[in-house]
Amino acid sequence: MSGFGMAFRIGTELVAALAVGLVIGLSLDRWLDTAPWFLVVFFFLGAAAGILNVYRTASGLVSAAPDQEGSGDGNGDVS
Amino acid sequence: MANPLHQFEIQDVVPIHIGGLNASFTNSALFMVITVAVVTLFLTASTRGRALVPGRWQSMAELSYEFVAGMVRDNVGAEGRRYFPFIFSLFMFILFGNLLGLIPYSFTFTSHIIVTLAMALFVFVGVTVIGFLRHGAHFLSFFVPKGVHPVMWILLIPIEVLSYLSRPVSLSIRLFANMMAGHTMLKVFAGFIVPLGFLGGWAPLAMAVALSGFEFLVAFLQAYVFSVLACLYLNDAIHLH
Repeated sequence: MSGFGMAFRIGTELVAALAVGLVIGLSLDRWLDTAPWFLVVFFFLGAAAGILNVYRTASGLVSAAPDQEGSGDGNGDVS
Repeated sequence: MANPLHQFEIQDVVPIHIGGLNASFTNSALFMVITVAVVTLFLTASTRGRALVPGRWQSMAELSYEFVAGMVRDNVGAEGRRYFPFIFSLFMFILFGNLLGLIPYSFTFTSHIIVTLAMALFVFVGVTVIGFLRHGAHFLSFFVPKGVHPVMWILLIPIEVLSYLSRPVSLSIRLFANMMAGHTMLKVFAGFIVPLGFLGGWAPLAMAVALSGFEFLVAFLQAYVFSVLACLYLNDAIHLH
């Protein structure tokens, strides 16, 4: 994959998780009338999930998967 | 100067209104039908000869088959073979949608987030259903990080679930944003050519030519990325890491 594609991919991974966290937080707040607490909690969870996504993408866990067929457990330790 | 966003406008080709619902046949739908027709024509007409030594068209069709088959084999393994028709259809649909959208005056349906989101959600829901069908409730162990003290699960499982839920979002945004950004940029540079006149117009023209070439790369790359990620998600659901 080209450098440009990789950069764009990592960017969207970060934003997407944050956006999902925000949407869940806002809708839970609206439903339970607890603003802003769920938003605050899910903002940080979403940010953490985004960084997790970026870490996994960047450390080649996703792109190097074909080379390490079957050694799934070892992937996390290698990186 | 022409509006660079005009190309993304949805226009009704055959207006259909059922009750209060607008179910019109739009230019977007028209280009999806054209894409399916072109893909079908390309694959059936090129393999009609069934030559042992393939001609140009047949080797193109075989090349696309081999490419996707190799992708499924490398990323999912032997169990992925039964999902090959889906991945192949997905890849060809996106690739030809992207490429046909590069033809002047045509419409790029992959530059609309509702189209890419529908495809991404289909992949996401399908993969989740496959995961539950194959592993039952054991599929939920996918969200439990290994080698972590159970106390940390309270924090880590929601993060894993959010990371899982963000997959269709990032999948759809990536394709849609790439196509929309590329086509808008192309139109902006093309719009400068005539207003800058004979002396100044060469610079945006060169830029438009370079961007057109780049757009071909993006069209292929994004179709590849979308289907390779669908394969990887499928692999996760089948093998649970």
